[in-house]
Amino acid sequence: MNPLELTLGIMTAVGGFVDISELVFAAKAGSKFGYALIWVFAIATVGIMVFGEMSGRVAAVAKQPVFNLMRHRLGLKLGLVTLLASLIANLITCAAEVGGVAMILTYLTGAPFRLMAIVGAVVLMASMWVLPFTWIERIYGLLGLCMLAFAAALVAIHPPWQSIAGGFVPQIPAGLSTKELLIFAYFAVAIVSAVMFPYEAYFYSSGGIEEEWGPKDLPMNRITCTVGFGLGSLLSISILASSAQLFTPVNVDPQLLGSSALEVAIPFGTIGLLIALAGMLFAISGAAIETCMANAYSVSQFFGWKWGRHRKPWEAPRFTVAWVSFFTVALLIILTGIDPMQLVEYAVLFSILVLPLTYLPLLLLAGDKSYMGNYANGPFGKTLGWFYFILITLAAIGALPLFFLTSGGQG
Amino acid sequence: MKPSDRIKLVSQLLDLPLIDSDGNYCGIVDDIELDGGPGKKTHLAALLVGPGAYTGRMPGWAMHLVRLVAGDRVTPVPIGEVEGIKSFVQLRRTARELGLDKTEAKTARWIPREGAL
Repeated sequence: MNPLELTLGIMTAVGGFVDISELVFAAKAGSKFGYALIWVFAIATVGIMVFGEMSGRVAAVAKQPVFNLMRHRLGLKLGLVTLLASLIANLITCAAEVGGVAMILTYLTGAPFRLMAIVGAVVLMASMWVLPFTWIERIYGLLGLCMLAFAAALVAIHPPWQSIAGGFVPQIPAGLSTKELLIFAYFAVAIVSAVMFPYEAYFYSSGGIEEEWGPKDLPMNRITCTVGFGLGSLLSISILASSAQLFTPVNVDPQLLGSSALEVAIPFGTIGLLIALAGMLFAISGAAIETCMANAYSVSQFFGWKWGRHRKPWEAPRFTVAWVSFFTVALLIILTGIDPMQLVEYAVLFSILVLPLTYLPLLLLAGDKSYMGNYANGPFGKTLGWFYFILITLAAIGALPLFFLTSGGQG
Repeated sequence: MKPSDRIKLVSQLLDLPLIDSDGNYCGIVDDIELDGGPGKKTHLAALLVGPGAYTGRMPGWAMHLVRLVAGDRVTPVPIGEVEGIKSFVQLRRTARELGLDKTEAKTARWIPREGAL
């Protein structure tokens, strides 16, 4: 195991962990319910560690990414339904991320939102065209480390650490009305969805194939998933905790993306604000690229096309057409004038519905000794995997009713 | 597993990706062609590759959608061209030699060959 590769892998995972939905839901969850939803972030993070590690292991051992396996395991019809559902979920997420990039560019330049959406999308597409996979992953992941400013800001405002630690214990705040309980449940489901987005498994496993992982890379895969995702999740929890500390007492509901950046601006002033916005810009840009590529990976793998950004764009032509098309459609969605924050709500809703179909074939294959040999899931991995599968299935069943009953968490 | 071994067609072969001798993905086992007749032994003759082979495996509306996105070409790959079956099907020759790269080659003509590192 190369220590430099490992460090870079962990740093990339940390910088690339937070995306627009986590930023939005962490800040809102903190302002509405204080520290009471931290445990949901913690549980969902272990879930993405489990399935992330599994998807990386399957890529390294069976040499197959998630979508190839999904079709083989689910069959053509159910596979096609999963493909369509995940394409829609990822496209909405990608559009929300492009909208997020445009919002931050607008904050930084004062230029019109639509113009910034076009500029942002063109720059991101150009970087996807020019840079090979490893560079794309590393550049956006490492620049996204500016998000560490949120952790520094939390330390600087001297929060009640005991209360934050108490938030890791599963709880439902006392004294909530039925309506508030439903909103709490909606936020819990949305956080699970935001942390365990299906595109992350598609992107991570396809990345393993792009980088030609083999069994020797399995320790690195395990460490990257546990340490990288764990530290990345602490960033989300920092955003939640700062929001609880700064916004709840003054009754501020952080409806806008920019509200989260204020968490850093309050202790560190203008410099802090700029670093926070830069971190958000690169983290969200990276997520926009990942969601777009996840869609191109999915459709290419489903139909058996050549795919990958380790190849030149003309060496995997249908894959290239796919990602260019998905990014263009995501941009067009934003140019219609739809509110990116509204898209974030739809993205988490659609994603949670797709999650069980995404993770079931992965779970089955990772436990199949005929493909995985000695690297198949052991009893601990199986138990954890099935626990999380049941959890996301329950969350998927509850998502739609909760969305409608709470008007998307608005009450 | 070798192609001459006993194979469970649905669970061990159908919908597996194909990889050519250059290591490139070049399709999926979308259907199979059997050879035989009354009183004769049935054996696997070819793998059918391409979305056109989905006909009969999915409803008409879905087939229409697939045709729109991926076309309706079908290319048979004789079973003799299969080297092994694992979590993918390894082919003995290149996609070009087996006629599996026609749509990729056609699409590649539209992609500018500049700018990528």
